[in-house]
Amino acid sequence: MSEIEIEIDGNLVKASQGDSIISIADREGIDVPRFCYHKKLSVAANCRMCLVDVEGIPKAQPACSTPAANGMKINTKNDKAKFAQKAVMEFLLINHPLDCPICDQGGECELQDVAMEYGSDVSKFNLGKRIVPDKGIGALIQTDMTRCIHCTRCVRFGAEVAGIVEMGGTGRGEDVKIEPFLTEGIQSELSGNMIDVCPVGALTSKPFRYEARTWQMNAVQSVARHDLVGSNIFTQSYRGKVKRVVARDNDSINETWISDRDRFSYEGLNHESRALKPKVKIDGQWQETDWQEALQFAVDGIKNNAKNPDQLGVLASKHSSLEEFYLMQKLARKFGTENIDFRLDQSQLSIGSSLESSITLKEIESIDHALIIGSYTRLEQPMINHRIRKAALDGASVNSINSKNFDFNFKTKCDALTSPQKLFSTLQSILKAILLKTKKDIPNDLSKVSPSEIHNAIADDLITSKNGVIVFGEHLNSNPNSLAITNLIAKIALTTNLKIANLTLSGNSHSAEKVNFIPSGKGMNAMSMLNDNSKAFILMDVDCEFDFINSKLASDCFNREDVFVVALSSYDGNASQSNADVILPMASFYESSGTHINFDGLVQSYRASVKSPGDSKPAWKIIKVMADLLDLEGFDYVDSSQVKDEALQSSKAQYSLNEANIQSVDDSQVTTHWQYAPYATDNVTRRAKALQESNIGMIDRAYLSKMTAQKIGLSDDDLYLGVPISIEESVAEDYVFVHTNQARKA
Amino acid sequence: MISNEAKKEIDFWVSKYPEGRKSSAVMQALTIVQKENGGSLNPDLINDVADYLEMPAISVQEVATFYENYNHKPVGKHIVRFCHNISCMLNGSDELISYLEDKLEVKTGQVSKDGLVSVKKVECLGACVGGPMCQIGDQYYEHLTKEKLDNILEDLT
Repeated sequence: MSEIEIEIDGNLVKASQGDSIISIADREGIDVPRFCYHKKLSVAANCRMCLVDVEGIPKAQPACSTPAANGMKINTKNDKAKFAQKAVMEFLLINHPLDCPICDQGGECELQDVAMEYGSDVSKFNLGKRIVPDKGIGALIQTDMTRCIHCTRCVRFGAEVAGIVEMGGTGRGEDVKIEPFLTEGIQSELSGNMIDVCPVGALTSKPFRYEARTWQMNAVQSVARHDLVGSNIFTQSYRGKVKRVVARDNDSINETWISDRDRFSYEGLNHESRALKPKVKIDGQWQETDWQEALQFAVDGIKNNAKNPDQLGVLASKHSSLEEFYLMQKLARKFGTENIDFRLDQSQLSIGSSLESSITLKEIESIDHALIIGSYTRLEQPMINHRIRKAALDGASVNSINSKNFDFNFKTKCDALTSPQKLFSTLQSILKAILLKTKKDIPNDLSKVSPSEIHNAIADDLITSKNGVIVFGEHLNSNPNSLAITNLIAKIALTTNLKIANLTLSGNSHSAEKVNFIPSGKGMNAMSMLNDNSKAFILMDVDCEFDFINSKLASDCFNREDVFVVALSSYDGNASQSNADVILPMASFYESSGTHINFDGLVQSYRASVKSPGDSKPAWKIIKVMADLLDLEGFDYVDSSQVKDEALQSSKAQYSLNEANIQSVDDSQVTTHWQYAPYATDNVTRRAKALQESNIGMIDRAYLSKMTAQKIGLSDDDLYLGVPISIEESVAEDYVFVHTNQARKA
Repeated sequence: MISNEAKKEIDFWVSKYPEGRKSSAVMQALTIVQKENGGSLNPDLINDVADYLEMPAISVQEVATFYENYNHKPVGKHIVRFCHNISCMLNGSDELISYLEDKLEVKTGQVSKDGLVSVKKVECLGACVGGPMCQIGDQYYEHLTKEKLDNILEDLT
């Protein structure tokens, strides 16, 4: 684009041909009032607030939709511009209620700010004001549509970013209303961003309603920990409690958006089941105690039960921080055990770490092709899915190999419906198709497979793609052949020279891998620890009911008479109480400093936003004291940044893709895949009230095809493992996909 | 539900637009569906049209609420669309509308008890030279008086 020179408010400014006046003004720090313009959304030019004077044009022009041309002289502050802006402001205020004192947006309202500068103190309008009845739009967003000024940012956000057109402008003229068509509530996993883009108090956060005023709160820069992205956020707290989470701009990570899970999960911090005091179980009775006694009890229990150091097992949630992972594995290794793991929900444990992603978040935007294998990316990793969607809108083709045709918010070209037991052979035939088409040798193990039409189509797209990516996700975790499948994916990527995005392990799993929070040598992994005769466990932020791929096995093991369980936990729920022998209350998200390593390998540290409630302590301090009491050396840390520095020194273990043994799977037997709904993935989110009441939070369905339903004798109103069923066309045969917020029962 | 005949008619309009631009036929589709449903639309029909044209339901609703010719409440067999803009108003349209309301025992926007007639105030229909005027079906009735209205209503069956 050619460079041009324009004059804004007397300053000569260089710009590119085609830049809008408002974007140049923003870059130069010149303030132009606006409501409908948003840098990440299309230009609507319907609020008319950004009118500016362009020399030579008789009428004031909207700065958002007027492209700059060479030699243009623009005045944003002269009489003509001011007159136009004030006139627009007067019209906008005709119907806007003057309820700022009871409006949650008050104090951070764009309309309020602009009205201070451009509004007049008296309205000439003396007729009745317009009132708009509210349609409820769900548990997350509070509507007050009388305050709406029809900027249509939320409408454009839905159409352009979320990919689900839910809000719209109905009626016309004076009767225009912004509303959804359906009353069942908003379905998008990114819906909370509508609150951020709304310039007035029409859309505000429902759980935050009337909680605090914006100027009373203390904002801290933080990092969200629910997925691999590590979205940048501000936590806003009032009187020591996190009251709200909002997005913080970072173009290379989350742009200006965050997922609803990151935005609303904070409610779980204030849940009534928080563990506030250390507790010990003596003769089957729980007793509250102080830290010293509880820690001594824990340490004695470990020493007495784990006579051999390798009888101790250490398990942590994948959402723990880098520091917590590092100290926990250090404690375990100094104690003399290699039984360390965080991969509680995988059937074959090396798949997460064996194949590393070779693409960055920003690069996903410019891919020309994506093949999604075993992942509902939209709900698993909303921000990564957003990047794939951007690429798809730019013309990238997307194919999927899933066990159900998921509701992606972009168009897919081929969807190969494949049950988990057939996934391996499907990938084999795709690999064979690729090898045949590129005239390469066919290895013996592929001699028997014959690619079908759809496999050939998928292979074609992989071969022609110059800059594509193979994305694989959480559905692989429970696949009995996941390791062999990962091997095949690696081979396909190598043959076609494509990149890889491994989304199987979410949360802060990259930190866990960084500090080797996995067994080495003779150590046992999470599954075999539960089977073996382990005598003591330390659990960090683990919920036995939800977090294990086989929760029954886990709770049976922890409940054995001769097993001593120390639980570092933020919550004092039934599950942790019944299974543990000591509960050491730990600080939760946003309550302790820590570090997150994201999909790109970017190390992001954050400090505590609030103090943890009651007597609970940051986990790194608890581990440090436990190590001291166990007489282990090398735990003389003064603050968590020392832990972080040391943790980052550790060298990540390298994995090779071993030839996996392929387990023969009976094709004709019905398999069940239990996937957690996105708001049931971690301890905090599971307790966030509004999220649980939203549409996505209430996901609780077992999907199966008609044939499968007949086979296992189920009809429409039946339950499958306690989950209501839905018989659909788009589900693979001999397979039940359970998508639920209930604890695992299979 | 959209009937097969209606679908055929909608397809005729869809075929007039380029491939992949089904939603361009939304206005004709709404008109066809409304006619079939006795002159008015309802949320289910909006949903059906949205599904048939593969577009978001709210986008159909936007169109259906923007234009005057779509009705969202049940209407009579005949709709008297009475102009109340300046030329007609100056020639006494307000009085005639009240007369009509009294005679049919309805308010504008409502349906007469026998379900035959509903009255709607509309903006200028471009027949100012013949004001006061109204439109019933495809027919304009101009230079209206109370007597003329009586006759017109009598002829409606």
